[in-house]
Amino acid sequence: MAWLHTWAGLVFGWLLFAIFLTGTLSYFKDEISHWAQPEVPVRAVDARASLAQAQAYLQANAGQSPRWFISLPDAREPALSVMWQDPNKSGRGAFTRHTLDPQTGQRVEARDSRGGDFFYRFHYQLQMGYPWGRWLSSLAAMVMLVTLVTGIITHKKIFKEFFTFRPGKGARSWLDGHNAIGVLVLPFHLMITYSSLVIFMTMLMPASIVSRYDGDTQAFFNEIYPGNQRLAAAGQPAPLVDLSVLYDRALQQWPGGRIGRVAVQLPGDANAQVQFSRHEGDTVSRDAGAAITFAGATGAVLELPRDSATPMVVAGTFYGLHMGLFAGPVLRWLYFFCGLGSTLLIGTGLVMWLGKRQLKHARSGVRPFELRLVEVLNVASMAGLVLAVAGFLWANRLLPATYPERAGIEVDSFFIVWLLSIVHAAVRSGSKAWIEQLGLAAIALAGLPLLSLLTTDHGLPTSIAAGDWVLAGVDLSALGCGLVLAWVVMKIRRRTALAALPIARGARTRASMPSEVH
Amino acid sequence: MLAAGLLSYAGFSALCLAMERHHQEMLGRRPSPSRKVQLRVAGWALLALSLWVSVLSAGWAMGLVRWTAMLMGSAVFLVWLLPYRPRWALVLAAAGLLLGLLAAAARW
Amino acid sequence: MRSRIGGVSTSYRWAVASRVIAAVFGGYVLAALASVCIAWLLPMARGEAVVSAMMLSFLVYLVAVLWCFASHSASRAWIGLAKPGLVLAALAALLHWQHLP
Repeated sequence: MAWLHTWAGLVFGWLLFAIFLTGTLSYFKDEISHWAQPEVPVRAVDARASLAQAQAYLQANAGQSPRWFISLPDAREPALSVMWQDPNKSGRGAFTRHTLDPQTGQRVEARDSRGGDFFYRFHYQLQMGYPWGRWLSSLAAMVMLVTLVTGIITHKKIFKEFFTFRPGKGARSWLDGHNAIGVLVLPFHLMITYSSLVIFMTMLMPASIVSRYDGDTQAFFNEIYPGNQRLAAAGQPAPLVDLSVLYDRALQQWPGGRIGRVAVQLPGDANAQVQFSRHEGDTVSRDAGAAITFAGATGAVLELPRDSATPMVVAGTFYGLHMGLFAGPVLRWLYFFCGLGSTLLIGTGLVMWLGKRQLKHARSGVRPFELRLVEVLNVASMAGLVLAVAGFLWANRLLPATYPERAGIEVDSFFIVWLLSIVHAAVRSGSKAWIEQLGLAAIALAGLPLLSLLTTDHGLPTSIAAGDWVLAGVDLSALGCGLVLAWVVMKIRRRTALAALPIARGARTRASMPSEVH
Repeated sequence: MLAAGLLSYAGFSALCLAMERHHQEMLGRRPSPSRKVQLRVAGWALLALSLWVSVLSAGWAMGLVRWTAMLMGSAVFLVWLLPYRPRWALVLAAAGLLLGLLAAAARW
Repeated sequence: MRSRIGGVSTSYRWAVASRVIAAVFGGYVLAALASVCIAWLLPMARGEAVVSAMMLSFLVYLVAVLWCFASHSASRAWIGLAKPGLVLAALAALLHWQHLP
């Protein structure tokens, strides 16, 4: 079991660190997106009025489209988003998406950037083609589940050492820290890992669907998701009713709640249908049945929201807990720190794996290639990744707002920086690579507010004066992260300076080796 | 959420004190067997109270989520504080208990 | 004459590889078969049964993986998967074809 824990943890640790770090950032994806597109105006949220604007825009620009989607603005995402399907195409590439100013209904001319959405999609698609990225991230999730459980099984003193953390004792402290984060934040680690499998379960484990639905998987999805079926056009033109009127009626279903999304099928046709879905952040459980469907031409109710059966509520709860859309500001920060905890759990494991084996070879002075490889991968996958995140944010601020293909270039910057970090880690010694990469990341992140000030009209003084605490928050959080990283770098430098002293090196090595390690 | 967090911090502190090694760290002496039992009962009771307070204010779904978050947060805070400032950890536990009960009464 | 790669015998490496393959692929097959059986046996509407079965299948996968590395030998790992696997396969086949019109 211990063998499985350490080896599964090592082989998948680098990938899992990336998944968890970008996933953790995703809890603030809307905020990061807002920071990445500071030109999007922040308006007081009026979902009903925005809907009217959206309908007018879609009528003018997508009148022939068979499907419209409208994402109403909310406190975290102030933009009004519309999407429509090209009538001549089908499949994933057929949709066009525009961001609108919810007050004027005009298209927002903001710099093109994927913003926080890049981290969000990366953490489960890994920049790989569909569906390979999801399969790989799901495999990683399964391995994470195995390492969590094997970690619990092999942690013999899990209750005795529940409150134990002994800093300043070298490898012992690392193990204490790893165990503490593992045990104390265990509900989150288990929830996030298991729920990620549940989210993709229809892709990962379709056997039961195929068997019970006799191969007709579409029938299964039609049962689960109302309004999923493709409608046939009547061919008769009929103007779409005013969606704001339907909005009021829909909201009656959920007093005190919000509408999240509006989906229209066959607008302008007699068979048109309009579906209003409840905002996903209203409940902990993600409820596919929380939707009301109207006939688009007459406004008659076609399908009322239905209570979901218990298994669906359970699955929806896993999905909802994973996404955390229901979380208010305090809970959202807690989610973020828990995610950071999972990330550090993996990181400390990787560092310890190497540290333990390096000690064995310290005396002989010869280091096998495998350990050097692990060292390079450790630096690049952790410090390098943080640096890549900083690179992405810097690219957003450095590229002119109207630069062509800038969204793609921002993403490229992320990967180029990551690639360079691998090269750097390969040519520098372990401790130097850590110090230099983390140091550069610290400077880059701490310097982000200054960069924002110099390159945009939305620097800290402006955003704080305007009360835009989301934008200011991202700048300030980056500064905070930079300062924390700077502190980490100083600690590493102090430790390596001590280790470099020739006095009693053998004694120190012996002292820092824990007598019992699992 | 605040009340639940303070109460769970106090609860964990009690459970922590019930362990000999930590009792020694925080109070400088070993706990008697009866004291250990008292602390354990108090600890679990406070954790249960924090759950009750949480569910009462936010319903079962949100209540359980918030309680779990507070549980993890307060445990991490305690374990981090303990080796550096064991006395502060103790003082905060007492203060947390008082403030937690007050906050619960005030429905925070 | 025993050969060694990197200080560890080749037979050891084969045994590890065997357990890994058993865990990854054998475990998946076992979990999938279990999900089919669970989906038919649960006394609920088929949509609900299928959702429940999929969620539970990951636990089966987890246990199968743990078994593959806890067993005394690589062959025991495979046998330990094959025994319930064959039972589940038979049961799944029975349940599936029993419900065909």
